[in-house]
Amino acid sequence: MHVGIRAMAEDLVLDTAIRDWVLIPLSVVMVLIGVLRYFVSMLLCSSQTPDAKIVKEGQVILRARNLRTGANFVPSKSFRLRKIYFCNEENGLLFVPKGQVQNPQAQMFSDPNMAMDMMKKNLSMIIPQTLTFAWVNFFFSGFVAAKIPFPLTQRFRSMLQNGIDLSTVDVSYVSSRSWYFLNLFGLRGLFSLILGEENAVDDTQRMMQMGGFGFDPSKGLSAEKDNIDITQHDWALPYCEQRAEAVLRKVIS
Amino acid sequence: MVTKSEETQLNSLENQVDNGGGGAWEYLCLIRKLKVRRSDKVLKHGLSILNDPKQRSTLGNEEWTLYEQVAVAAMDCQCLDVAKDCIKVLRKRFPESKRVGRLEAMLLEAKGSWELAEKAYTSLLEDNPLDQIIHKRRVAMAKAQGNISVAIEWLNKYLETFMADHDAWRELAEIYVSLQMYKQAAFCYEELILSQPTVPLYHLAYADVLYTLGGLENLQTAKKYYASTIDLTGGKNTRALFGICLCTSALTQLTKGKNKEDKEGSQLQSLAAKVLEKDYKQRAPDKLPQLTTALNSLTLSS
Repeated sequence: MHVGIRAMAEDLVLDTAIRDWVLIPLSVVMVLIGVLRYFVSMLLCSSQTPDAKIVKEGQVILRARNLRTGANFVPSKSFRLRKIYFCNEENGLLFVPKGQVQNPQAQMFSDPNMAMDMMKKNLSMIIPQTLTFAWVNFFFSGFVAAKIPFPLTQRFRSMLQNGIDLSTVDVSYVSSRSWYFLNLFGLRGLFSLILGEENAVDDTQRMMQMGGFGFDPSKGLSAEKDNIDITQHDWALPYCEQRAEAVLRKVIS
Repeated sequence: MVTKSEETQLNSLENQVDNGGGGAWEYLCLIRKLKVRRSDKVLKHGLSILNDPKQRSTLGNEEWTLYEQVAVAAMDCQCLDVAKDCIKVLRKRFPESKRVGRLEAMLLEAKGSWELAEKAYTSLLEDNPLDQIIHKRRVAMAKAQGNISVAIEWLNKYLETFMADHDAWRELAEIYVSLQMYKQAAFCYEELILSQPTVPLYHLAYADVLYTLGGLENLQTAKKYYASTIDLTGGKNTRALFGICLCTSALTQLTKGKNKEDKEGSQLQSLAAKVLEKDYKQRAPDKLPQLTTALNSLTLSS
C-alpha cells in the first residue's frame, strides 16, 4: 500500500500520521491476535482418533490420483487393469452405491464430538474476526487510509471506501477497512514464519473448508472415479527411445 | 527421496560436526527431517549432547525427541544398554505414553525376543489400529525371522489400508524379487512409477524385472523403460546402457525371421555401446578390452 507523499496534480497528500497511527497499529494488532488464536487453539484442541474407514478412503483417493497423473508412464495393460479395479461397477474401490452417499452428512450432525470440534474451530475464527472488524469500523472509519497503486473500477467504491462519503475521490484511495481485509488474507506468510511452517493460521483455507465439510469423503471418491473414467491412456514411453538416442548422441559428441 | 541440495547440506554439516566444528544439534535435526539412516553418527553426536548437562539443558523440550532418536540409533547399532537407558529416562518422564511403549517393543525386537515383541506390538495395535510404524515393524520382524511369507501377508494387509505408501510398495517389490515372483514385483514397480514417475530408479528396476520375465512384449517394454531411464539420468546410468544392449540383442534373437524393427533398434544399441566404451575409457580403462569383447559378442549373436 502506497501512502502518497509527493503532490502531483490529482493526487491527495496523505498525512504520515495515518501511516503511523492506523496502518502499522492495525497490522500489529492482527498479528498479535493471530498468535493468540494459535495458542488458544493449541490449548483447546482435542486429539482426534482417526477413523479407519476415512483413512482408507483418503489413501484410495491418493492412489487414484497417482494413477491419473502417472497414467502415461505405465503400459496400457497395467493402466486398464487398474482402471477396472478402481471403477468397476460391482466392487471397484471408488464406486459408492447411492444409498451410502448420505451417510457422512448425517454422521456429521449426529456425532457430538465432531460437531463440537467444528463449533470450536468455527468460533475461534469468527469471534476474533468479528471483534477486530467492529473495532476497525468504530475507530478507523471516515478517512482515507491508503492509496492502492493500481487503478480500479467504480464498482469497488462501495466496498473499499465505505466511510468516505465523497464520490469524487478516486477509487484508489481506500479506507482502513480494506487495509484490514488485506491483512486478513495476506498475513498467512508472516504467520508461517513466526509459528513454524505447519501452523500457519490460514483463514482463507478455513473459510473454504467451512463450506464443504460434510461432502468431502463420498464426493471425493465419485469425483476421482469420474476423473479416471475420463482419462485416456497415451503411452509416453515410445517417445523415450528417440529421446534416449538424442541424449546418448549428445554424450558422445 | 532426498534431493541433491539436501544431500550436500547434510554432508557438509556432517563434515563440520565430525571435525569438531559444532552444529551437532542442527545435524541431528536435519537427519530427523530427512529420515536418513546414519545411526552411528547419530549415536556418537547425540550421546555427546546428552551426556553434557549444559548442552542438554539448552535443548529444553526437544531433549525428549533427542532421547528417542538416540534410542533408535542405539538399537540400530546394537548398543542395547544405551537404548535401555534412554528408554528408561523417557518412561520416567512420560509414564503413560504409547510412543515410549513403541520404543520398548522395539527394544525387545532388537534383543531378539520375538514372541514378547510380537505380543507388545499386538497390544499396541489394539489401542491404536492405525499406527503405520507399528505395522511396518511387524513386517520387519517377520522378515528378520526369515518368515517371508508372513511378511508378505502382513505387508499386503497393510497396503490394503495404506495404499499410497510408496515405501511399503518398494519393500514389497524387493521381497517379491528376492522370491523370484517377478509378475507381482512388476505390479509393485508399476505402482511406484505411477506415484513418482520422474524417479529413474523405479524405471530401471521395472525394466530389469521385465527383462528377467522375458518374452517378446516384455522385452520390448523393458527396452523402452531402459530408454526412459537413460533419458531421465542423462545417459549416465551404466546399468541402463547395458540393459539396452542386452535387450536389443535378445529381441533380435527372438525376431530372427522378421526384419521390420532392426533399423530403429540398432541405432540405440550402437549409441549405447559407444557411450559405454567412452565411460569405461574414462573410469576403468583396464576393463575396456573385456567390455569390447562382451559387446562384440552381443552384436554377433544378434
